[in-house]
Amino acid sequence: MIQDYIVFVGVNIVLAWSVYVILLAGSLSFANGGFMAIGAYVSGVLTVKFGFPLVIAALISGIAAGLIGVLAGFPALRTRGIYLMLVTVGIAVSVKAVIESIDYVGGIQGFGGMVGTTPWHVVGLVGLVGGGLALLSRSPLQRILDAVREDELSAASLGINPIYVKLTCFGVGAFLAAVAGSFYAHYLIHVSPDQFGIVLSVFIVLYAVLGGTNNMWGPPIGAAIMTLTPEFVRGLEAWRPTAFGVVILCLLLIRPDGLLAFRIATTRTKVVAGSKPKQST
Amino acid sequence: MDVYPQSILSVDGLSKSFRGLTALDQISLDVRRGEILGLMGPNGAGKSVFINVITGLYPADYGTVRFLGRDVTRLPSYALARLGIARTYQNIRLLRRMTVLENVLVAIKDHVNRPLRSLFIIRNRSRFVRAATTLLEQFHLADKRDWLAGSLAYGEARRLEIARALAGKPSLLFLDEPAAGMNERETEELGDTIRASRKLLEAMVIVEHDVAMMRGLADRLVVMDAGHKIAEGKPGEVLAEPNVIEAYLGTDEADE
Amino acid sequence: MLAEQIINGVVLGSMYALIAQGYTLVFGVLDKLNFAHGEIFMLGGFICVASIALGASLPIAILVTAIIAGLLGLVVEFIGFRKFQSPDAHLTAALSSFAIGLVIIDLSQKIWGAESVAVTLPGTLQTAAVSIGGLRIVVLRLAILVISLLLMLALYVVVTRSSLGRRIRAVAESPTKAALFGINVTRINQQVFFVASMMAGLAGLALALRTGYASSDVGFTFGLKALAIMAIGGMGDLRGALIGGLLIGVLEALAFHWGLGQLADVFVWLLMIVILLMRPSGLFGTLISKEVRA
Repeated sequence: MIQDYIVFVGVNIVLAWSVYVILLAGSLSFANGGFMAIGAYVSGVLTVKFGFPLVIAALISGIAAGLIGVLAGFPALRTRGIYLMLVTVGIAVSVKAVIESIDYVGGIQGFGGMVGTTPWHVVGLVGLVGGGLALLSRSPLQRILDAVREDELSAASLGINPIYVKLTCFGVGAFLAAVAGSFYAHYLIHVSPDQFGIVLSVFIVLYAVLGGTNNMWGPPIGAAIMTLTPEFVRGLEAWRPTAFGVVILCLLLIRPDGLLAFRIATTRTKVVAGSKPKQST
Repeated sequence: MDVYPQSILSVDGLSKSFRGLTALDQISLDVRRGEILGLMGPNGAGKSVFINVITGLYPADYGTVRFLGRDVTRLPSYALARLGIARTYQNIRLLRRMTVLENVLVAIKDHVNRPLRSLFIIRNRSRFVRAATTLLEQFHLADKRDWLAGSLAYGEARRLEIARALAGKPSLLFLDEPAAGMNERETEELGDTIRASRKLLEAMVIVEHDVAMMRGLADRLVVMDAGHKIAEGKPGEVLAEPNVIEAYLGTDEADE
Repeated sequence: MLAEQIINGVVLGSMYALIAQGYTLVFGVLDKLNFAHGEIFMLGGFICVASIALGASLPIAILVTAIIAGLLGLVVEFIGFRKFQSPDAHLTAALSSFAIGLVIIDLSQKIWGAESVAVTLPGTLQTAAVSIGGLRIVVLRLAILVISLLLMLALYVVVTRSSLGRRIRAVAESPTKAALFGINVTRINQQVFFVASMMAGLAGLALALRTGYASSDVGFTFGLKALAIMAIGGMGDLRGALIGGLLIGVLEALAFHWGLGQLADVFVWLLMIVILLMRPSGLFGTLISKEVRA
């Protein structure tokens, strides 16, 4: 049904953006599936057991995820970015393990009763996040993020606090993933821990990266393609992991600076004719 | 405690070791208002380590650093930058994928201090662009403002790095081997650039190998060798001291 | 019995250590995380199953597994890491190795199905036990422990005492400087990948023998945990990986003994986060800052 498509594509778009926001500051997060789970479960408990309205519950779950992300991310970011990657894997694995062991939320079985998401919720969310990102790309903050991403050291010499910037982006990404997860859960009515394994987090990263990370439109395109193609290409569903893995590898190998080194979406088009813009080595 | 009332930066007993190797051994010096201080010494003397410790890249093991009367020894790089200590790097660190103009715009104090609030500012607001362009004009880079920083010639890139460091209106600027890899003409131009920038700052510290350049540029010199300070004073005097000459003997003085 | 559980923990820990040392080797030399490592570990079990099913004896199966795992490591190096050697390419390399891992899992599930596959072992190999000092010890597990420790000892000797080891350490310190000294960095990378993957494959084989079946999700459960162990013990430090592995193995066994098994996973990752907070270089590691490196 068209409703399903709108909701699933929309949720995945926001999930892809949640990883994109973190990528903007130069970090790679494999935790967003875990944040999505936090969103689903926290909001689910709030609506089902405490009668909160959906949107409020979703926001609260987003804040919870954001806090957890910042707390867990802080020790990692003080050292090297590569540690953050590890910590994000840890978050994803731990969230799933914790959810499985709490009987209050149904343990391995998961729990249900979550209703309330309409396609309008998802469309509204996509619109809000998209608007925010558009605002970002037109603001000086975009440049600051670019500076942190490209060279933390020289960014610090200019007075930019790279840890603060990275943590904020990480928290925002966690928030977005959790809100998306809330809407997702309240559409599916029932969720269980096995839906939120590390593979989900890897897929979310693939959504973000597949469409290109030049600007904010790449992730939604990647998310849309990855969500919709299995529907339209019969038989692909079974080979989804391999197909997407291979596509990602090809993309990473073909582009000289890899998918994650993005160009800056600014005044590049005004490069003076006759100058040879040296690509980074 | 400040030895001279006009000291902007006071370094007292600064020491730093790496895995048992002493890089800095009780270095004390001060930087006075209005001066260009040259920091020289053979390879491995610890000059770069000194800058790196002062600008917050490595924590000092012992000693204190006071900037404008305030103890800044333990502060991280970005905090020092916000207080007014800027630096350039030996291997020019620019944002190569961004344009020349953008490199300068990144450094705008307003935005840097409150990154989140800058979300709501229109980004290329004309007054910021005007200020940045004026700065670029002073460095003869305004006509290249839309070029990608990575496509600049070496000398131009160095100028841009200095311009960018100055965009944040610092009080003290550290230049780490700015003439590295430059030929004579480029070095001369660099000297002019530095002299022209003097009035934009309270003081400058330049780490350099090029003796001729420093002789003409620096008001005072400090010479280091193997982590110690071995001489301090006016260039003419210092460069004639026997232990300074000896420290440089056997070292290839040619620019890297 | 507590003592038996501790021994079980040590055996488990030795397997963790094998995998963790593989991660550590690659991280120490290439400064990158190889996320396909856990999947090669997983495949080790399946290769073993397949070889035995094809009639190989146990020693042959072990040899075959080691070689195929090593070769797979070369493939991973070529596809996932050869092109991404710059120090800034961490994220790209991590992502590409994750993608390779994903493909490996999917393909193996297509070949062997998504369920676990049983290992058929000759006779009572699985359950033969001896009594040492009043404790009942399964011979197989003892063998796994001994062989794992010997392997790691051999690795340690090679890395610290041989000329190959010296070259490896040179590349680990700085690939550009090593290249200037005439060391073929690509060749070293390949050798490191071969050895690391071989160890992972053997660890997978050990796990399959010990539990009696090969399953496709162990890459994520075991394998990723070994990654946390590497971070705990010290990134890039072989001793740290060994001690960390043994430590975690014993702790996990104790946790199961006391009925807290379920949260064992969380505990390991939380421990990693705590250690990163207090001592970023891990228990034994030395932090190689990004600036210093190459």
